[in-house]
Amino acid sequence: MKHYIILTVILPLLVAFLLPTIGRFSYFLARALPPIILIFSIVITACVYNNETAPFALHIGDFVAPQGIVFHVDSISLLMALSVQVFALFLWPRRSFKLQSEQIVSNKRYSLMLLLVASANGLAFSGDLFNLYVFYELLAVATFGLISFDTNEANQARFAAAFRYLVISATGSVMALLGIALVYFLTGTLNFAHLATQQANLFNPIGLSAFALLLVGFGVKAELFPVNSWVPEVYSAASKKLSGYLAGVISKLAVLVIIKALLFIFPHSEAAYLMLGLGLAGLLIGELSAMRSNDFTRMISWSSVAQLGLVFIAFSIPGQAGIIAGLAVLFHHMFVKTALFLIAEKWGGRISDLHGQGYLNLIMSGIFIFVALSLIGLPPLPGFWSKFLLLNGLAGQEYYFAIAIILITTVIEVNYLFRVANHLFSREDKPVLPINNHHWFDTLTASLIVVALIVAVWELPTINDQLIIMSDQLLDIESYVNRVLISTENGL
Amino acid sequence: MHIGLGELLIELTLMPLVAFIVGMLMVLMMRRVGARLQRRVGPPFFQPLYDIIKLHSKETQISHGLIHDIGIIMAVGGYIAAETLLPVPGMNGIAEKGGLITLLYVMMIPSLGLALGVGQCANPNGSIGISRALTAMLAYDIPFVIVMAGVAFIYGTTNLVEVINIQQEGGIAAWGAVQMPFMALAGLFALQGMLGKQPFEVYVAPAEIATGPMVEMGGKYLGGLFVMQCFQLYTASVLYVTLFLGGGENWLFLLLKAFAVLLIPISIAFLFPRFKTDDLVRLMWKWPVLLGLIGLVLINYR
Amino acid sequence: MNALDLLLLTSLGTVLFSVVFSASLTGRMLLTMLYAVQTVILFQIDAGTEMVSSFGFEIFNHALGLSFNGLSWFFALITLGSAFFAAWYGLNQQQKLLHVGLSANVFSMLVLLSAGDFLSLFIAWELVSWSGVLLMVLGKQESLVATLKYITYAIAGGMAVFAGIILIYSWTGSLAFNAVTENPLSLSQYGTLAILLIGGFSVKMALLPFHLWQAEAYALTSGPASVFLGAISARMGLFAIVITMMHVVDLKTLDSIFLIPELFTFRDFLIWVAALSIILPTYTALRQNDARLLLAWHGIGQGGYMMLGLLMYDQMGSAGGLLHVFNYASCQAILFMSVFSILHRTGTTNLNQLGGLVARMPLSFLAMLVGIIGLAGLPPMNGFVSKWLVYRSLLSDGMAIVFLASVIGTLGTILSVYKLMHNSFLGQLRVEHEHVKEAPWSMTVPMMLLAIIIFITGVMPGISLELVANAQSAIGLTPVDYHLGGVVSANSAISGDLDMIWVVLVLFSGFGIAAILFLSAGKSRRVHQLDNYAGGHFLNANNQYQYSDNFYAGLMHIIKPWYRYSFKWFEGAVVSFVNLAAVFSRSFFNQAHMLIWMLVVVTTVMAVAII
Repeated sequence: MKHYIILTVILPLLVAFLLPTIGRFSYFLARALPPIILIFSIVITACVYNNETAPFALHIGDFVAPQGIVFHVDSISLLMALSVQVFALFLWPRRSFKLQSEQIVSNKRYSLMLLLVASANGLAFSGDLFNLYVFYELLAVATFGLISFDTNEANQARFAAAFRYLVISATGSVMALLGIALVYFLTGTLNFAHLATQQANLFNPIGLSAFALLLVGFGVKAELFPVNSWVPEVYSAASKKLSGYLAGVISKLAVLVIIKALLFIFPHSEAAYLMLGLGLAGLLIGELSAMRSNDFTRMISWSSVAQLGLVFIAFSIPGQAGIIAGLAVLFHHMFVKTALFLIAEKWGGRISDLHGQGYLNLIMSGIFIFVALSLIGLPPLPGFWSKFLLLNGLAGQEYYFAIAIILITTVIEVNYLFRVANHLFSREDKPVLPINNHHWFDTLTASLIVVALIVAVWELPTINDQLIIMSDQLLDIESYVNRVLISTENGL
Repeated sequence: MHIGLGELLIELTLMPLVAFIVGMLMVLMMRRVGARLQRRVGPPFFQPLYDIIKLHSKETQISHGLIHDIGIIMAVGGYIAAETLLPVPGMNGIAEKGGLITLLYVMMIPSLGLALGVGQCANPNGSIGISRALTAMLAYDIPFVIVMAGVAFIYGTTNLVEVINIQQEGGIAAWGAVQMPFMALAGLFALQGMLGKQPFEVYVAPAEIATGPMVEMGGKYLGGLFVMQCFQLYTASVLYVTLFLGGGENWLFLLLKAFAVLLIPISIAFLFPRFKTDDLVRLMWKWPVLLGLIGLVLINYR
Repeated sequence: MNALDLLLLTSLGTVLFSVVFSASLTGRMLLTMLYAVQTVILFQIDAGTEMVSSFGFEIFNHALGLSFNGLSWFFALITLGSAFFAAWYGLNQQQKLLHVGLSANVFSMLVLLSAGDFLSLFIAWELVSWSGVLLMVLGKQESLVATLKYITYAIAGGMAVFAGIILIYSWTGSLAFNAVTENPLSLSQYGTLAILLIGGFSVKMALLPFHLWQAEAYALTSGPASVFLGAISARMGLFAIVITMMHVVDLKTLDSIFLIPELFTFRDFLIWVAALSIILPTYTALRQNDARLLLAWHGIGQGGYMMLGLLMYDQMGSAGGLLHVFNYASCQAILFMSVFSILHRTGTTNLNQLGGLVARMPLSFLAMLVGIIGLAGLPPMNGFVSKWLVYRSLLSDGMAIVFLASVIGTLGTILSVYKLMHNSFLGQLRVEHEHVKEAPWSMTVPMMLLAIIIFITGVMPGISLELVANAQSAIGLTPVDYHLGGVVSANSAISGDLDMIWVVLVLFSGFGIAAILFLSAGKSRRVHQLDNYAGGHFLNANNQYQYSDNFYAGLMHIIKPWYRYSFKWFEGAVVSFVNLAAVFSRSFFNQAHMLIWMLVVVTTVMAVAII
């Protein structure tokens, strides 16, 4: 039963390649098939998550590790895969017009989305560096294509944005590849479990530089400082739902890849300090730049840069406290950022143009304020608890400077978020024109996110236990090694 | 000292009455001294009483409204109440139920009443006068408060009965003026300001703002202000005597000291031209405050 | 299910009720009744002992609980009373957000007052801050701007408190109130906690230098909201500071943290902050021409008295500080009510455009008169008693200069409230206000009730002193020796008692005698306001004969150069600094081409690797 998890990678991949052909025969089938596939793989993932209490390893083709490809399935990778698929379902691009040419374009878009989902799933599960790299590249290619799709023909900036992103991402990938090469040079293997046993070989300046290269290389997607200049441009040029998906879900995957590298390859304090420093820089620059933004989408893009900096700071805390804090901030941000981008779908554009809009659409403004409050960390919303865990962990390490920076940037955050609220609820005498480019389904998704956050408050103890389980599994490197390297009876 | 209710009530009635009579005598002294300084004869003995009766029995009594009336009532009534807080030989009244701080605040009620009454008169001259009066109060109260703090420190109490007892038990050496001479000097400045006498009578300024608050006060209203002036002179001088000159061992000494103290501001009053409001404030905040602060420092080192 | 649970549940129920029913007049009347019901329930809780609620839950192995003691009781009474009067006053206001905000504020404040550990204190603190926002946004555009400023300040303070709590957890391993008392810390740790916690809470209390947000935020919103906010909202900061001083850094510890060795301790610093908070905002109030802003600035100033009282070792001092919370709440409420009834009837609160309204709005005048006498601290109103206690404790503690500073504040208050009274109610009635009517009954009746309360608690301060003594015992201080009429000073360093009953009796007898004297003279004739001395001219209705503008010209001539606006400058400097940093961070990405950065990183890393 648990082998079926591999379907979550294979099936979307297969359908992605077949979709353009299918689409020529029946447009309806091409539209209906991807969501069905997604629902199917969500069901599989959910079943595996419910049934399997212990993590397990899938040796593809029954090849023994470390030569063969291994998929390692634990709670966190299952949860990430689940998030990838669920969010993809909710943020699925809507169909455009009925013209033949547009249909063909839509088909391509759907297949690229499926490719994105498949590679994201693979990224969540893969157990060795090279496999990871392959899926990462696949993901990147899918994003390049998706960014340049937009039903709004007037938005020509998307091509330029896609191109710039391509260049930076490609450079990042080369750096990552360089890092991988260095790791291979030092240890002769790329399997995570095997690397975990070889840590002695990696504890030298070359190992640190390998980690640094991996960090910055994969950090492009994770919006790490200093390779995050592409973020505001790309997120505002692409379709907002895609931006929400990228900022919310995909960036988290990239973070987890880096964390795996940290835990398996270079679990030493130098790496942690590097992450802490880059995280703080990202946090500061993100919040300050968000403050200066006059455009709503750019503002929340910078905010996502800052929040991801926060995630890196959290993961730089050694031990279980850091992992739990990091996971909490990560998951919270996933929900919040997606909601914000859904709001940007309606209200993206100049902030000063938003004056008085709040009164016209009370649901959306209510969602905005709720999400903003959770982002800032108003108790008892989940954002507060994640910040509490984070600051607690930092205090335990006596990183008082980081605590101060985080709290100061929160004040800046509240200022710019509620400046937007002021515009939304402005009472000046200027005329207010309703903005109509919105779909009920997006409002529904945003409301569901709010509901999820409220439920999270209720279920805090359960979530806390779950986080502890996840962090235990992540930190339990010995069992990981045993599972992957020794057992060979599982496989396809 | 525990006294019966009946005795207390008698004291409460007598104290304001005595204050009124003594006050009238003080007004008489003020006018006579002023007259001598200006080479005149001065009014006859009962003139203050005649003036008050005359004003109250005038036929034309102009009122600008209920608050106008209430203001005068408050002005006179407030002082009547303040007298009971000021212990005199043989009569303590309710001085032990509220000390120096209460006395100071109760003395502000007449000013407030007057201000309200003048306000309703709707005359800008009156309003200007009140604004200047309040500014002057801000000015002279600063040194007075420093004096109060000094008094509290030296005697260890704000109860005026105890202040008198401490001074009288120690003889002249225990008098406030001897123990804290700088404070006494600062207190004299404050006294001058409190009495509203030249050179600090800018709030009246007859030629400039048509007597200020009194511009629309005629008849019994002016009479009430006359009564208030009697009380004012009495209260200010007796308070100074209580704090610095050992109170009154008996009525004779009290009156002698009080009249002596009052002579100083009265004499000065007729010799100086009027200070402007901002000059008044500057003066009060410079010299008396400096003297008071020096006094405080000296007390602290004791 | 004890009385505290019932109180919290009823309060939550009131919130829900207000969301649904506050659109109709009957609904609003019921809502006002509900606050009275909550007060009744409050009286079922014994203020002398501690009552623990049955609500509580666990999070992260830490138990959060709610409990009430004498201190919470005292503040809760003031909260519910203010809400009751504000709701009554606002019966005719149809803005739903006002009523929902009011009930939400009451609920979150009750939760704050019953917080039983640091985490629930912080959670409730944030809830209180944000529910305050609901009440501040009810005015015009200017109120939104003021609210944003408030939010920024409030979150800054809240984050400082958060940092303090995180440090407590990290240093002692517990978030219970006895965490620090059970695990003593080093002096520098106490100092850090003191700065973070007291500083963070004092933002809400608007102590200097964190006071620039309060005046506009509290004044520019709608009437009943201003009444409630001005009365009690800022004092929640005082409550939290008392909690801090009870459980984290007490007065003795504060007095042992030396900022300048041998000379100046942290306690001295706080005393001076409080003293300056009395003087500077009061003299800023003196310059205001809008009646609402004038009152709001006084609110900031009076907070200094409360803080000052609490910093004294003397039992009279803490009694005075706490009593002042009660007294000031009643005075500020009645003054705001009076000013807003003027706004309601005339449409303006600009002091240079009003005058003579006593003839048309006598009840509002009476309310303002009572409020002014109370605010200035004159007998017979309650403000006198609390100020007397604070003064006495300053004298007992030997702090002459601070005593002088607080009296300077009082004198400034007297000047500025007289200006308020004179420019609005006294003086010449304007032509456009000839037909103004008295405020509606729903506004005047609560004003009169408040006036009665102010008077009675002034004459018989023992009533409110009993509550204060309970609060003092709950804090762990010796309660003040009080009786129905006032206090006795048996245990004080400086002797001197106070008995208000006698003072007020004598005062009113004096008035009586003066009245007899007055009325026994001739009968007075009412004349019109235009029948007035004008230097030989005849006045008519077109003459603007009111002296309003620049009311204290002589004083301002001296003081004006002293207003350096340094706090505003400092605030501006901080904002500019942040903006500059933001510009720099944005331009960082514009300037450097990202690829070059990456190349640089790669080469450095390779260099490090090879070397």
